[in-house]
Amino acid sequence: MNLTRLKRNSTPYFFIAPFVIGFLVFGLYPVLNTIGLSFTNATLMSKNSEFIGLDNFRRLFADDVFMRAVRNTWTLWILNFIPQIGIAMLLAVLFTNARLKIRGVGIWRAIFYLPNLLTPAAVAALFASLFAFYGPVNQLMVRAGFLPEAVRFMESTTVARELVVFIQWWTWFGQTMIILMAGMTSIPIPLYEAAMVDGATAWQMFTRVTLPLLKPILIFIFVTSLVGGMQMFDIPFLLTDGRGSPQSSIQTNNILMYMKFNSSKGHIGAASSVGVLIFIMTTVCALGIFYFLGDRDADDTKKTTRKSLFKKNTERPNS
Amino acid sequence: MLRKVYALLSLVLIASFVLAACGTPAATEAPAAATEVAATEVAATEAPAAELTGTLNVWSFTNEIRTMAIAFQGKHPGVTVNYTMIPMTNGEYQTKVKAAAGTADSPDVVALEAAFVKEWVESDLLADLNELLPLTEELKTYPAVVEVGTNDGVARAFSYQATPGAFFYRRSIAKECLGTDDLAEVQAMVADLDKFVETAAKIKACGTGDYYTVGTGAELFTPFLANRSQPWIVDDTLVIDPKIVEYVHFAKMMRDEGYESGATQWSEGWFAGMNDTLKDANGTPKKVFSYFLPTWGLPYVLSPNSTPADSTTGTGGDWAMVNGPMSYQWGGTWVGAMEGSPNSELAKEFVKFVALDEENLTNWATGVYTNEYLKAIDPSTPDDQQQAAGDFVSSQVVVEKITSSFDNSTLADFLGGENSYGAFAAAAPSVNGALLTGSDDAIQRALNDPLAAYLSGTSTEAEMWQAWLDAVANEFPDLIIPEPPVK
Repeated sequence: MNLTRLKRNSTPYFFIAPFVIGFLVFGLYPVLNTIGLSFTNATLMSKNSEFIGLDNFRRLFADDVFMRAVRNTWTLWILNFIPQIGIAMLLAVLFTNARLKIRGVGIWRAIFYLPNLLTPAAVAALFASLFAFYGPVNQLMVRAGFLPEAVRFMESTTVARELVVFIQWWTWFGQTMIILMAGMTSIPIPLYEAAMVDGATAWQMFTRVTLPLLKPILIFIFVTSLVGGMQMFDIPFLLTDGRGSPQSSIQTNNILMYMKFNSSKGHIGAASSVGVLIFIMTTVCALGIFYFLGDRDADDTKKTTRKSLFKKNTERPNS
Repeated sequence: MLRKVYALLSLVLIASFVLAACGTPAATEAPAAATEVAATEVAATEAPAAELTGTLNVWSFTNEIRTMAIAFQGKHPGVTVNYTMIPMTNGEYQTKVKAAAGTADSPDVVALEAAFVKEWVESDLLADLNELLPLTEELKTYPAVVEVGTNDGVARAFSYQATPGAFFYRRSIAKECLGTDDLAEVQAMVADLDKFVETAAKIKACGTGDYYTVGTGAELFTPFLANRSQPWIVDDTLVIDPKIVEYVHFAKMMRDEGYESGATQWSEGWFAGMNDTLKDANGTPKKVFSYFLPTWGLPYVLSPNSTPADSTTGTGGDWAMVNGPMSYQWGGTWVGAMEGSPNSELAKEFVKFVALDEENLTNWATGVYTNEYLKAIDPSTPDDQQQAAGDFVSSQVVVEKITSSFDNSTLADFLGGENSYGAFAAAAPSVNGALLTGSDDAIQRALNDPLAAYLSGTSTEAEMWQAWLDAVANEFPDLIIPEPPVK
């Protein structure tokens, strides 16, 4: 009797156990361990470490290096996110537009998504050698007469940042476009038909029908892109010397953290303090997005849209 | 009743976890103690030649030591060496080894480059190899090589190389621009930095701007570093030696005067200068007169890159080697055994074989380890795995024995008949290992980017020093940072 009850009661726990154990070991423990390490002077090269309180954090704000990394990260992310969502939205609208009926949408979608399949390492290496001082871009531009002489592209902070922004945009707009298209195709077509009957312009249909119903998807893209952007590492790391050169212009939070981690003795305590601050910053921003854009009225809109959808769907035959 | 059983079971489970946690340190110590016993037993029976068996994990940043690993397996058929190569680009190798040390994934033997060997020798992560010291006396290993691998009287790493630096120049350009390609006369023209600059001006004028004296001024960084009076860190304080300031000004002058090609060291453009395929953006061919390279630079860098990819006519035979404006040493690979490795005896044997075995060092330097030789031991050896003759070894005994064998070697042909080995042998005893510290790598790499910005004119000298000091401060939390030399 007892045994069967226990069996019955424990069955669901067995089902969720793999995830919970995985999360505790690979999710929660590293986070707690990182927070713990950030209060110590632990290094990889010595077995002992001491508790040093907030010293690691104090040092981060002692000079401009950490804040510069934060500014770099935000600059690179915003400059890549705005055109990314803009172009992706434009393409998604065109591809899902019922009036335009563009042919070969599947092929276009695949082509725009392809850059996302390339390894960041290969992309970064490709761009680094294209824009080298003795590289093909210089050869081409000078011989074609666009430049009077070879330019040290990779020593220009502007060019380096533009390259990172471009690569990030180029590899990610296809992904964003696909998610947006998925969101748009899930909007019931009768809504557009109703709008058309009411004489709405394409712009009105976009702002009054598409955008409001796309909000949950937009929030999803916003938050995932923010989290990814705050952790930007591979492209800026591999494009130059792994230190965010030139003049630390593409030195992001994570590059700074990695530099502390792999410098001389491997200062994992100091590196953890950077990680903890990135964690706090990302969490606060993501919660902020949910609070201001999502959660607060997401429930209302969901309810109202469902209601109105239902209403419209039932009313339509009569109207 | 059943509930009680469950409670008991869970108690046992919890207890086992707790005990397991407590038991970990003891468990890791046990094998070490066991091997120590085994070691003393081996010593007691005095049978070091007894057949070695086991598996050894060796990590390195090039494929060089793999050749020795295969040769080692040839000597000891019972041994399997798992060789892992991780490139040193952007410090990747250093990071991986650091992260693996002390864990279950730790290698048994690690290769350590001059830039970071001290970091390891100063730590307690490498095994004590003092018992191998008598061999260094037998082989007359160059003192600097032993000094670098030793900390507080404990030897923890040994090297098969000694790495005095040299100055390689193109004979044809020397004849055309300086009127002679004679070793002594050219050396006199570059004997110190002032004369070097005079010669650089001559070469620029002679080639009407299409001849560069060096690929990049960065090649002179190592010579300047070797001539400092103090290491980078003294009493927890960063030392900006006057030589460093001098180097920065010298590099700026080389760039501004157009004495260097502007190619980044180790980039395609820098290598292209070695085989005369360097072209500027307009397609105008450019020539590079000289390269600052150490012993290993000759067989590994200059000679392999002297033939362009698309043709057979290279610059081989057109090179000569002299001391140059400053004596210096550059790089070198040390090998050490990891502390706490379950194969510590085997690891020690491997280090001994690599760095302190007369037969191996002779084979290594004289080109015995051909691809066929290695394939005969291990058929899975890659086709390009081999060791060409010419690496300069750390044992004076071996060097003296083999120097004459290079009189008519392919390397001598490459240098227009000059025996490079003899020249290196003359320079090797003057090499000084005292300036190396464990922090060199990180401090020096932090200078590259600020210096590049200063050289290209995008930042001022004051900004450069500040950027470098900020970067160093961020990587060394406990280091006292001095005022910049220029504000």
